[in-house]
Amino acid sequence: MTTTTLPKGTQNKVHTPVLSRGERWTRFQQKLAPYLFVSPFLILFSVFGLYPIIKSLILSTYYTDGPKDMVFIGLGNFRFLFADPDFHKAVKNTATFALWSVFLQLPLSLGLALLLTQPWVRGRALWRLAFFSPNLLGQVFVGVLFWVLFTPQYGLINQALHWATNGRFALDTKWLSDPAMVMPAIVITSLWMYVGFNMIYFLAALQSVDKDLYEAATVDGANSWHQFKAVTVPGIKPVITFVLVTSTIGSFQLFELPYNMLNSSAGPNNAGLTVVMYLYNNGFVTGDLGYASAVGWTLALGVLVVSLIQMRLTGSFKGANE
Amino acid sequence: MRSFPFGLAALCLLLLSLITGAYIAAHPTPKKTSTLTMWTFAKPHYEAYSKAVPAFEKANPGVKVDVQLVSYNATTQRLRAAFWADLDVPDLVEVEISAAGSFFRGSEKNIGFLDLTDRIQAENLDKRMVAARFGPYMSRGRIYGLPHDVHPVQLAYRRDIFEKEGVDVKQIETWDDFVRVGQQLTKRQGGQTRYMIELSDTSRDNLEVFLFQRGGGYFDAQGDVIFDNQAAVQAMMQYVPLVAGPDRIGNNLGGGQILTRAVEDGYLLCLLAPDWRTKSFENDIPKMKGKMALMPLPAIERGGPRTSTWGGTMLGITKKCQNPDLAWKFAKFLYLNEQDLAERFSGTNIIPPVRAVWDSPAFTRPSPYWSGQPLGKTYADLAPQVPLQYGSPFVQIAKDKLGQALVACVQRYNTQGKEGFEPFVQEQLKRSADQVRKMMARSPYQ
Repeated sequence: MTTTTLPKGTQNKVHTPVLSRGERWTRFQQKLAPYLFVSPFLILFSVFGLYPIIKSLILSTYYTDGPKDMVFIGLGNFRFLFADPDFHKAVKNTATFALWSVFLQLPLSLGLALLLTQPWVRGRALWRLAFFSPNLLGQVFVGVLFWVLFTPQYGLINQALHWATNGRFALDTKWLSDPAMVMPAIVITSLWMYVGFNMIYFLAALQSVDKDLYEAATVDGANSWHQFKAVTVPGIKPVITFVLVTSTIGSFQLFELPYNMLNSSAGPNNAGLTVVMYLYNNGFVTGDLGYASAVGWTLALGVLVVSLIQMRLTGSFKGANE
Repeated sequence: MRSFPFGLAALCLLLLSLITGAYIAAHPTPKKTSTLTMWTFAKPHYEAYSKAVPAFEKANPGVKVDVQLVSYNATTQRLRAAFWADLDVPDLVEVEISAAGSFFRGSEKNIGFLDLTDRIQAENLDKRMVAARFGPYMSRGRIYGLPHDVHPVQLAYRRDIFEKEGVDVKQIETWDDFVRVGQQLTKRQGGQTRYMIELSDTSRDNLEVFLFQRGGGYFDAQGDVIFDNQAAVQAMMQYVPLVAGPDRIGNNLGGGQILTRAVEDGYLLCLLAPDWRTKSFENDIPKMKGKMALMPLPAIERGGPRTSTWGGTMLGITKKCQNPDLAWKFAKFLYLNEQDLAERFSGTNIIPPVRAVWDSPAFTRPSPYWSGQPLGKTYADLAPQVPLQYGSPFVQIAKDKLGQALVACVQRYNTQGKEGFEPFVQEQLKRSADQVRKMMARSPYQ
C-alpha cells in the first residue's frame, strides 16, 4: 500500500475547496433538508411528548392539589405508593388480568386462527368477520353491554348458565358485585373482545409459513401435533412474541372496560381496580397530579421490565443479534 | 393538472379537509349571549329551572339566563379540570354532595367557588334553611354552596303484598321489628324468591343511611375522620347481618330496568326512599301506582329518629362569574322563592331546605302513586330530624374505604358468622379510617 503525503500546510486547502456563495447556499440547504423534513415530528413530539414526559417526571416529586397548589416532597410520592395497599391491589388485579390474557387469550386466538385456516371449514371469511367484529366496538360500549348481560336474576348470562346447569348455577349470582366474580367477568368480556383481534395476526402469520415444510414433515412421518410444534410454532414465533408483548402492554393499560362494567368505579373491595384506574382516580378524581405522575412512571417502568423479560424469554434478542 | 399525484383518495381527503376547515372558519363559535350560565346535572332540576327562568328574566330586564343540563362527570371532573386550567366555566353550578368536597382541596385561594359565608349570614339564610344541610358544603369554616335539599329517608314498600301477608306497618317501629317481619316475608329458596329490602352487600350507599341515622358520619365538624367510632361500629354490626349470612333479608340486583323488574315481580318488598328517589320510582316503575306506600324509617331504638339522609346537591357561584351579585340574586330566586319551591316540589318530590314552604298545600296533596299518602307532608314531618353530616376534600376516599370495610365484614360474616364479629368490625373500620388519615396527613393544606 502506498501513501501520498501532501506538503505541510496544504492539506486543508485541498480538502476545503473554495465555494461560491450559491454553492455554499446549496450545500447548506442539503444539510438542512433532513432536519426540515423531520422537524414537524420533532416539534410535535417535543410539545406533546417530550415536554409532558419531563414535566410528569418533575411533577412526580411534588404533592399537588391540582396544578396550582404544589409542594416539593422528593420521593415522598413513590414511598407512599409502594406502601399503599390499594396500589398493591391494583398491581395484583392488573397482573392477574395480564396472566389470564396471556394464558387464555393467546391460545384461543391461535386455536381459532388454526381452525379458520382449515380447508374443511365452510364460510371461513364469515367466521373471521364474526370473530373480529367485537373489536370494532369501543370498550365503553362493550363495558355497558356486558354490564347488562351480567345482571343477576334477569341477565342473559345467568339465565343461560342457570338453564344449562339445570338450576345448579344460581340466578342471582352477582358477577359484578361479588369481589370473587369481578375479575372472571372482566376476563370473559376481554376474551370476547380481543380473541378475534389477535386471531387476525395469527391468521396472517400462518399464511406465511412455508407449505413445503409441512410436506417435508408429512413425508418424515410427523403427525399434526409434531407439525404444529416443529413447523408452525417456529414459523410464527415473531408474531407470537409480538402478540404476547402487545397483549401484555395492553393488559397493563386496562381501564375503560372495568371502569364501565363496574359503573365508573373499581368495583366491590376494589376487585376491578387496575393500575391505570388507580392513576386516574388519584390524578383526576382526587386531584393529586403529582402522585398520579409517580404512578404513571412506575407503570411505565414496570411495563418496560415485563416486556424485556418476555422478549428475553422468547429469544427475541437472539434474533436481533444474529 | 392532469391527475392528482397522490391518488384520488388523498385528493378526496384534502378536499374534505378544506371544505370542513372553511366551514368551521366561516361559522365561529357564537359569542356568549346570556348574562348568566348555569349547569345542573339532574334532569328534574333542569326542567324545573327552565320553567322558572322566564319569570326571573322578566323581573330583571336585560338579563338572559342559560340553564344547561350537563352530565354528572361534567360537573365534577371536567369542571375541576376547568378550574385548574383557568378555562371558561359557568357562573353557577349545581354539584352533587359526594363530589362537593373534592372542590375544596388545596389552598383557599385556589378554590374555584366563591365564599358565600358572608352573604348567607347577612341574610340569615342559615336560619331560614335547615342549618344541617350547609355542613357538606363547608371547608375550613367557610360556606361555598347553598343547599338544594334535605333528603330525609323513608321506606317505600309494596303495600299490596304487605296487606296480603297481613303485615301492619304501624307495628314496625324499630329495626328489630322490621327484621322480625322481614324474616317472615323473605323467601330465599324454592318457589318465588323475594327479599324484604333492597340493600347492597358491597356498596356503602345504603350503609351510609344506617350510619347517619345513628348520628355517625365520615368526618366531624373539625374535619377529622370518625367512621371508625362506636356509631360506625354499631351501624356495621347492624347492617351486615341484614345482607349476609343465612338469615339475611336484604339483597340488591342493580338499578334501572333491573330494579323496575325486581319491584314489579315482588322480588324486593321495601326500598330505602329518600325524597328524590320517590320521583324515580314514579317514573321508572309506573305499574306500581297505588301499590306502593311510604313508612318512616324504623328507629334504632324505640323513640329514636325515624329518618336518615341520602344524597344532596349544592349550588355554587364560580369565582370566574363576572356578575356575582346577579348570580346570587338568581341563586336565591331558585332556592328561596317560596311559591316556586312549592310548585317545583310537584315535579321533583324533593323537599327544599326552606322550612316556611313545608306547610304549603302542594306538600299535603295526596299522591295517587303512593296509595293516596300526602307525600310531601310525610317527608316534611321528618325533615327536622335529618342528621348532620360534614364534608371534607377527602370524603370520596373515605366513602371508598368504608365500602372496602363493608365487603371485608360481609365476607367474614358469611364465612364465620357472629363469632368474634365485633372486634373484626372494629379492626376493619380502624384500618380503613387510618388509611384516610394517612392520606390526609400528606396534604399540607388541611
